[in-house]
Amino acid sequence: MKALKFLLLPYLGAVIAAAFLWPEPAKGFLGESSRIVFFHVPCAWTSTLAFLVAAGYSLAYLLRGNPWHDDVAAAAVRIGLLFGVLTLITGSLFANIMWGTWWNWDPRESSYLLLVFLYAAYLFLRSAVEDPERRPRIAAAYALFAVVLMPFLVFVAPRVTASLHPQTVINPQGKILMDTPTRVVFFGAMAGFSALFVWMLSIDARASRLQRVLQKRPGA
Amino acid sequence: MSMLSRAWAICAKDATQELRRRVAIVAVFFFAATALTLVSFAIGPFRLPAEDRPALQAALLWIILFFAAATGLPRAFVAEEEAGTGLALRKTVPATLVLAGKSLFNLALFLAIAAVTIPGFLILLDWKIGNAAGIAATMLLGGYGLAVVSTFLSALVARAGQHNTLFVLIAFPLVLPLLLMAIAATIESTAGGFPTMPLKVLIAYDGASTGAAYMLAAVAWED
Repeated sequence: MKALKFLLLPYLGAVIAAAFLWPEPAKGFLGESSRIVFFHVPCAWTSTLAFLVAAGYSLAYLLRGNPWHDDVAAAAVRIGLLFGVLTLITGSLFANIMWGTWWNWDPRESSYLLLVFLYAAYLFLRSAVEDPERRPRIAAAYALFAVVLMPFLVFVAPRVTASLHPQTVINPQGKILMDTPTRVVFFGAMAGFSALFVWMLSIDARASRLQRVLQKRPGA
Repeated sequence: MSMLSRAWAICAKDATQELRRRVAIVAVFFFAATALTLVSFAIGPFRLPAEDRPALQAALLWIILFFAAATGLPRAFVAEEEAGTGLALRKTVPATLVLAGKSLFNLALFLAIAAVTIPGFLILLDWKIGNAAGIAATMLLGGYGLAVVSTFLSALVARAGQHNTLFVLIAFPLVLPLLLMAIAATIESTAGGFPTMPLKVLIAYDGASTGAAYMLAAVAWED
């Protein structure tokens, strides 16, 4: 994990520099606004990845009862929410440049906002259950239930009505419509953000474990 | 006693209890009637532009149905904890059967709310139903999904603090896809067509939520 920490700084620095300097801005977008794809989509991907990791560790908690799995699941949701909010902010910046408004209730914007609410509710639920033995079970059950219904929110609901959102990476043609420099920087950013998530998750989960252990000590 | 009859017994028990107490069940119908009256006063039957009327009326109908149901559906497990009968139920009946029985009661409650609200909507807002079978299927599938999700979430929040507020917070993002599909199906039925696509999505949603709720019922309800 230490090596990852030292590699991340130059790697993400290079990705950010390349995002602004290497690929040409995409056609059909105002000014340099298309460059937001190198930050917005990786944020959305990382947030979704975090929620899937939370579901995986929640399942592991229910199967094995190891509190470490619950620490990781809760940490993944917290980090997923952070990246979810960053997705909304970067999307809003793009909307303001392209459509002249920060927020226009586009189906994809709205469904992502609801996804953030869905996982914010996970944290509300955790804090509302006072019994420390019961809290991880309830949180795990909610995380698994939420992940089953998440595809309806992310994939189905935005397609019910017309959207101004540019075509996503997962499009009906099943093709990645990018030139080579854009593709290299885009997937470089996706990998970088994913690695950043792993590093942050490791820190947050270890801090939670420490907190849990300290709370169990006599006199705590 | 077969599994089905045990689930039915739970449903009958809930219905008897709620009818005996009356307050909660009357509050649900009173909420639906108040919301309907408010909407009718605010926009009347002809204030909405003709071209927007089907979409707006469908959205308003489901908003009334959802929020009226949200005052009653979370009671499923919360009422057991408040009455102090939760422990006895946990020890005597498997969680999946409790969930089945309570979901059944919640579905019946939703359909009763719809049965009261829809005629009022037809009269007060001059709503026209083009395809009655489409509306009936939408109410059944939408109500079923709403009942299962609400019952499961009720089990999750039953022993948490501030359970009523918490229920709305956690339920809304989860049921929103269902509400969107139900509204889309209602619009299509109003126009006279049969809403095949939205109903297919509702069936998928109902199937997914039922599978997940039954697999996690014991985790949510038992100790």
